[in-house]
Amino acid sequence: MSMTATELALAAARARRLVLRMMEAGRSGHLGGALSAIDIVTALYFNELDIDPANPSAPGRDRFVLSAGHKAMAQYAVLALAGFMPPEVLDTYGSFKSPIPGHPDMHKLPGIEANTGALGHGLAIACGMALGARLDRSGSRVFVVMGDGELTEGANWEGAAIAHHHRLDNIVVFVDANGLQISGRTRDVMDMAPIGRKFRAFGWEVDEIDGNDMSQIVEVLARLPLSAGKPSAIVAHTVKAKGISSLEGTAGSHYWKPTQDELTAAIQETEARVATLQVEAAR
Amino acid sequence: MNGDLYDPRKTFGAAVTLEAELDERIVVLSTDSGGSSGLGAFQQKYPARYLEFGIQEQGATGVASGLATMGKIPVFCAIAPFVTCRNFEQFRNDLGYMNQNVKIVGRNGGFTYADLGSTHHSLEDYALMRMIPGVTVLAPQDAGEIRGAVHAMLQIRGPVYMRIGNGPVPQFFPDDDFVIGKGRHVREGSDVTVISTGYTTVAVIEAVDALIAGGLGVDLLCLGTVTPLDDELILESARRTTHIITVEEHYPRGGLGGAVAELVSGTFPVIVDRVAVPHEYVPTGPYAEILKSYGLDAAGLEVRIRELVTQHRQVAAARLP
Repeated sequence: MSMTATELALAAARARRLVLRMMEAGRSGHLGGALSAIDIVTALYFNELDIDPANPSAPGRDRFVLSAGHKAMAQYAVLALAGFMPPEVLDTYGSFKSPIPGHPDMHKLPGIEANTGALGHGLAIACGMALGARLDRSGSRVFVVMGDGELTEGANWEGAAIAHHHRLDNIVVFVDANGLQISGRTRDVMDMAPIGRKFRAFGWEVDEIDGNDMSQIVEVLARLPLSAGKPSAIVAHTVKAKGISSLEGTAGSHYWKPTQDELTAAIQETEARVATLQVEAAR
Repeated sequence: MNGDLYDPRKTFGAAVTLEAELDERIVVLSTDSGGSSGLGAFQQKYPARYLEFGIQEQGATGVASGLATMGKIPVFCAIAPFVTCRNFEQFRNDLGYMNQNVKIVGRNGGFTYADLGSTHHSLEDYALMRMIPGVTVLAPQDAGEIRGAVHAMLQIRGPVYMRIGNGPVPQFFPDDDFVIGKGRHVREGSDVTVISTGYTTVAVIEAVDALIAGGLGVDLLCLGTVTPLDDELILESARRTTHIITVEEHYPRGGLGGAVAELVSGTFPVIVDRVAVPHEYVPTGPYAEILKSYGLDAAGLEVRIRELVTQHRQVAAARLP
């Protein structure tokens, strides 16, 4: 049963709190990108992906590939919320042999489909999954979340060409366009704008949304594939570190190493947001 | 050996096509390279399982990983440097780290694409592939082993790199007895151990037979697998001869010679002389002339092995009290 945008927003708020739970354990991590992408990841897991935490290897399942593997905390938080692992696993973040390392590892945690982290790999892997699904007529779809800073890796565009040439309309890419990377604004580091027109030029159907607005995410998911016979790219304009006001829109949030006071304040802010949304969702 | 010669690419392609008849999980990936990899017949027979990507080996390697996730067994063959160097990170992460059941075949290995120059040569592929945990590295030595290695690599689960050459090869070995990780004890002797791999074995056998006819006791080990190395076979021979000479069409660093040196240095240290391609960008021209210039043809190998044995005996004699 699908959730309403408000219910999904509440789930995303809980997921943000769980990201901070990992930060409490590990004391540092790739926070900014995890929080810009987490609304999309939440909506995908709770409303879109045909997956079952009780049978995470079911052959006909949909696949989720986090091409921007450093946003892993977003996926871990949502996997915990969705029942793929007990939330206590999040407390191992940063510890020796944790099943939730800084970049995801498919052999360590059910629900992870690819070992990403080196940027620009996810889309081609997703194309292989989509081709395999088509050969088997399984109906599986493949969802990819990538970063906008990642788009400078040339291998992405090999994947973009493949998806178009092989008419993989079972692939959906969300570009988490938060406009920032380690060194600053993406347009200053290496300007890849206009992202949407680049995908369109490669033969994709493209839409642009506010990727932190759950109602817009829900609305675009309802229209997939955006065009029959074409892969779908959704340029999701987001705010880096969304949900932690002191960090929002800062490149410095890319890898966050907070003081205890900063972490406490962030936790309080996310908990307040959960409380507010609980009231809204109950109405 | 019946004297016939076989095109390695056609032999490889025919073997894959034969296996595909029995296992429908096998799919072929082409980067504008399938036809020239001997896979034209596969494409004719199984058009839906033949996937073309144009010239992009990084993308195709990622695709191979994704296909393996879906239960397919992708076979991807192209010019050796393009499926080992160009896509190295995809090989390491998407195939090695993800432990995917993908078979990558580098054709025109070594400097067999002689006149096309160093961009098209592959003299570091064993070294690169050997460094990725979990990757099996095969170097079939004749037409029989190409067929046998194709069958064997499709029977095991996990990433495999296989190197084949360009020029026609004879058949010494049967089609059906290739065992991954097991070498062949082809000649027995007690003066020196010679170890070869890949298509170079053809010239090595010719050279060794001439040396044996001249009275030298050569223990000849021919390895169709570079990784995992046949430790037992090599150490057994090293203990008897106390002198190893490796021969390969690869740089002297990191390939068969490197692997053998690593093995014996920690177990039974003996001199390992590595006969290989000098660590430089190879001159262009006809393949046979390049081979000859490096002493890697049968005549050159015969001379070189004799020299190395003589040198070793002199050094050993000088050490005696």
